[in-house]
Order: sequence, then C-alpha cells, then structure tokens
Amino acid sequence: MIKETMTREERIRAAVNLEVSDRVPIVPLIYQFVFRYQGIKHTEGLKDAEKAFKALTDTFDDLGGFDAMIEPDFIWPASSWRICAAPTPYVVPGRDRISDDQSLQVAEQELMTVEDYDKIISKGWNGFCEEFLPRLRGRSLESLDANMKKLAAIRKRDAERWKERGVPVLSGASTMSCLMILSLSRTLTQFTLDLYRIPDKVEAVMDAMVDDLIENITNDMRFTGLPWIYFPLERGSCFYYPLKIFERFEFPYLKKMVDAFVAKGFTPMLHFDTDWTMNLPYLKDLPKGKCICELDSTSDIFKAKEILKGHMCIMGDVPATKLALGTPEDVTAYCEKLIDVVGKDGGFILSTGCECPVDAKFENVKAMVDSVKNHLPAC
Amino acid sequence: MSELADVIAELNEDEAKRLVREKIDAGVEPMSIVDECRQGMDIVGERYKSKEYFLSELIVSGEIFKEAMAVVEPLLEGGKQAEPLSKMVLGTVKGDIHNIGKDIAGTLLTAAGFEVYDLGIDVAPGVFIDKLVETGASILGMSGLLTPSFESMKEVVKGVEEAGLRGKVKIIVGGGIMTEQVGEYVGADACTNDASEGVEMCKKFAREVK
Repeated sequence: MIKETMTREERIRAAVNLEVSDRVPIVPLIYQFVFRYQGIKHTEGLKDAEKAFKALTDTFDDLGGFDAMIEPDFIWPASSWRICAAPTPYVVPGRDRISDDQSLQVAEQELMTVEDYDKIISKGWNGFCEEFLPRLRGRSLESLDANMKKLAAIRKRDAERWKERGVPVLSGASTMSCLMILSLSRTLTQFTLDLYRIPDKVEAVMDAMVDDLIENITNDMRFTGLPWIYFPLERGSCFYYPLKIFERFEFPYLKKMVDAFVAKGFTPMLHFDTDWTMNLPYLKDLPKGKCICELDSTSDIFKAKEILKGHMCIMGDVPATKLALGTPEDVTAYCEKLIDVVGKDGGFILSTGCECPVDAKFENVKAMVDSVKNHLPAC
Repeated sequence: MSELADVIAELNEDEAKRLVREKIDAGVEPMSIVDECRQGMDIVGERYKSKEYFLSELIVSGEIFKEAMAVVEPLLEGGKQAEPLSKMVLGTVKGDIHNIGKDIAGTLLTAAGFEVYDLGIDVAPGVFIDKLVETGASILGMSGLLTPSFESMKEVVKGVEEAGLRGKVKIIVGGGIMTEQVGEYVGADACTNDASEGVEMCKKFAREVK
C-alpha cells in the first residue's frame, strides 16, 4: 500500500495542474453499478433519495473509498430548469419497458423540429426553452422551475454530505455542447441530415444558443458553489463526423464555453464518449492545465497522452467489457499499464471508461480501485 | 460509374432524386435503377473503409438510398426483383433499447442486397428464433450497446442451438463495445463495432451459406 501524503482534493487538483501527486487519483463513475450490486431497483432509488444515497455511500465504503464523486447522487443533470442538455426522456428499468436489473437508458426521439431552429434563432436558447419545455413536458413553466430548484437543492445537500466525509464532488453543474444538445434533441439521423442540408441555419442556431448556455451554467455554479463542470460530449467526434464538421459545428462553441468557464475559475471535465482520437490535437487550443479530458476506452488513451502531455489532464478508461467479462488480474494489469504510461509525470486520473456497467463484477471494480493504491507510475 | 451512382457517392441528394425520377420517366428498368443506387452505396462503403468518409456519410447516403427505393420499389414487379444475397434477421437484444447502430447496419445491409427482417429493439430471444424459423434466414444479426446485452445475446445463441438451427445460421453481433472476447463469450461467428465492416462480414457469410 502506497503511503498517502495528500488529501483527495489536493491529489485531484495536482493531476489537473499536470503535477505529480503521492499516487494516481481514482474517480470512477459507479452510479449504474450501485443498483445491481446493492440489490435496489431503479424505481426504488428514484422514489427514495435517501435509500439511493445510502446505496452509493455503502458501495463507496465497500470499495475501500476513492478520490471523488463525479456527481453527489443520482439526480442528473445538475442545472436549473433552463437546462443545458437535451431534454431526452429516460427509460427507467422496472418502470418502463425494460426489466428491473437493467441499466437506465436514454430513449432518443425527435423532440425538436426543423421549425424550432427558427425559434431558437429569434429567441435564444432560454427564450426557446420557455415555450419548448412546457410543451414537451406538459407542465407549466413555474412547475418545472420549482421541480428543478428542488432537485438542485437535494444535490447541493448531498454534495455537502460527501464533503463532510472528505470526498470532493466534481460537478457543480453539467452542460452539453450546442452540437450534442441539438443532435440528441433532433436524433442523430435527422441532425446529421440538417448538417448536410441546412448547415448555415444550424450554425445560426448554435450562435444563438451558446451565450445562454454559458450564462445558465454560471448561475448554477453560483448556486452549488462547486468549481467543477461536468461536460458530456459524444456526438461531435470523428467516430461520427469528418473534421470539417467538427471544426465548424463543435470545436468553436466548445472552445468558447470552455474559455468562458476557465476565465471564471471553473474546471471543465470534458467527458468524451466514442472515438475522439483524431480530434484530440484540437484540445491543445484549450487553456493549459485547466481542464480534464475524460475518455471512455474507444479513444486511444495512450495516443492522447502523447498529444496532450504537459497540456491537459487525462482521465479514463478501464473498459466496461473488461469490468463485466474480465478477471481481477486482467483489470489490474490494464490499470497498471495506464498508471505507468498515462500516469507518467502526472496529469492522470484513473477512471472507468464512461460508466461502470451494471453487471460489472465487484472484484473487478475493487481491483481497479486498489490498483492506484498499490502501484506507482514506473520511473 | 453511372451518373446516378456518382451523385449518391457524392451525397448529392437533390440530384439523386432528380435522376431517379428522370430514369423512371424515361422507362428505364426499375431493377437497373436499384443496381445503380447500390453501386453508389458501394462507393460510399469503399470511401468509409479508406477513412475518406465517416459515419455521417453512411447516414446521409443511407437516407438518399431509402428515398430512392421509396420511389423505385413500388415499380418493381415480383418476378423482376433480384434474388437477395441472403435473408437476415436483425434486432437489438432484450434489455437494450439502442437503435442507431442497428438501423445504420440495416440500411447498409439492405443497400448491399440483403433481405433484412428488422425486429426492432429490446427483442426477446424467442422472437429472434421464431423469425429465423418463419423466414428461413441464414444470418442472424444482434445489436447491443450495453454490457448486459452480452447475456441476452448468449441466450439467443443457446436458443438457436436448441432449435437445431445453429448449423444453418451464421450469427454476427455488433455494437460500440464489442470485442473479440465478447464474440467468444456469446458464441457468435463474428463480432464488430463497425457497421460497414459488419456488412462485409455478412457478405462473406452469404457466400458461405449458399
């Protein structure tokens, strides 16, 4: 066991600052895993926030603890009613069409039409949401606002409870990029057709959205008081689009948001799902030592280290498949490789590749958490 | 290469629509229009393989192909339809509602000449088996994005064996997190995380089962 000489917060902050810490920090995403491991149902967790929170803390303890929670509980996303995400409905196991022991899933559907683009252009994102969200949810603006405020207050309380345990929470608010919001709200196919059929209009929509997203997140951050922004990104990657699309529709808006957040003292955690390997060199245009590049195991994390070394902290990327089908020895070997290669000279946080799957074996998750406590980067 | 194949390969949707209409009005044999569209899709596939094109180009070309087929297919008389490369049953397995990868694969397989029976998402094992029996399809494609889908896929493979079909049906699994380890675990004949590669694998299966 490596002797620890830093607090959890200091260890993570050192990684973001691209400095070497006493050991590599570990921050897994374990929310879905908790349900099956603790034998509670999603429907129970949604009804009973205390039960769900206890399941989370019990799992944290069973794993021997780790360095931070990305979210304090199961209430995602953390934001005001003027959401900075696509309002895509979830399919809840046991409540909707899938059985109790499955994962929470997103039911992507066409929530927004091409006609809605004109409304965003004329009213901005927030002005559009005032009409769009009540229409979508079938509830008044006041009711939606009150509900989101209530959820935000629960999150803030739960973040305090983690803080009392000495565990930082790395999400004061959550936002998506303009491209991600539009893609999820239009569906991948329709949005992709929009990009090819009406690119100028899509660009005008994004121009009308981005400042509102920055303002909303700034307000949310003021409320939670946590300096970290969770930033899920998936749809803008080279897995989906050629670089010419990324350069026009994703990166300029992402950069504008990241630059604004960093200027306010916030740390964006860029959660990159799907393969972004070709896009990684662009991240060198984002502020040095101020963001986290989190990879889900489909991007090449070793290539990421070559590209972003000395510029951006890398986080990831124990594959879900390895946690579900592998052995503790497989997991330990992979984690030690990550620690040695990506962790060399600091700037690395070990994590799951996106979410720890609902059917991960406990001994594999424990092996992942233990790896950083027993293994230092090779000199 | 024909002009129609070329405009599809260049993702020129308006021009593709215009040419299809022009050919129909000129009395061109509908099946030959389908063949030209497929040639265009083959070129898109080649460009994807060489990394000149990305998933977005597969999506856009797939939509152009579907639009063309919506116009041409009603004109095809039963006897004049080309023999499919093979019949194939496709679906996202039980417990998983992700449809994007499956839908892209389905469009590309149809464009490549397969007769695809798409069962949708969250498909129970018995439904796959029943469809294989009903259609006599010789390829089964299962999609999943989440790790619990591995157990569902394994259950379907077991069902195929129990139905005495395993020797007659090739099985391919696909999804973003697929690895060789997953393919072996579920007992599939092929495994891919790339829809275009999946089409090539199915073409190989089609040659083997004929």
